[in-house]
Amino acid sequence: MAISTYLSNPSLTVNAVDLSDQCTSATLTVKYDALESSAFGNSSRSYVAGLGDHELVCELFMSYAASETYATLAALVGTQTTVVMKPTSSAVGATNPSFTLTGTYLEALPVIDASLGELSSISLTFKGGTYAAAVA
Amino acid sequence: MFTIISPRVGTPGDKFEPSEDINTEALIEGGFIKSDKTPTKSAKTVETSLEE
Repeated sequence: MAISTYLSNPSLTVNAVDLSDQCTSATLTVKYDALESSAFGNSSRSYVAGLGDHELVCELFMSYAASETYATLAALVGTQTTVVMKPTSSAVGATNPSFTLTGTYLEALPVIDASLGELSSISLTFKGGTYAAAVA
Repeated sequence: MFTIISPRVGTPGDKFEPSEDINTEALIEGGFIKSDKTPTKSAKTVETSLEE
């Protein structure tokens, strides 16, 4: 029987700051540009990997309190940093790998996003960087 | 080199050893860590009178 994993408690750190308790969703996508390598004689298109173009998209509750979301991100916009995601907050291991983007770029930071009757939240995209997965 | 202030980074009071790509200036500015470097004293200005 197939076993699926319900990720209810993933861990997210941005520039070494644990923002898991402010995060409501996060997706780290590993992607490589597809370079067409089809040639005469091929009956189907074929591709090889080009440059990596990874990204992390996450939704965070906005908080301007000390050591919270804004304090973490304000000085990072327009710079490169490191983000790490894990399925759970437990130690890294074979069943709890860590996924890291090193030197990833935060292009934009919505400094305020307010809607009546809703908790303020922001969407961030960290672009590029070097991807690594670790199990130890 | 750095000491942790905020539990979001680690145990407050512990030394913080950043990896190469961690932006420590952003962490200091955000109040997460503090630098242990002691400020360097500026050179004292000593007034001297010229002998005539």
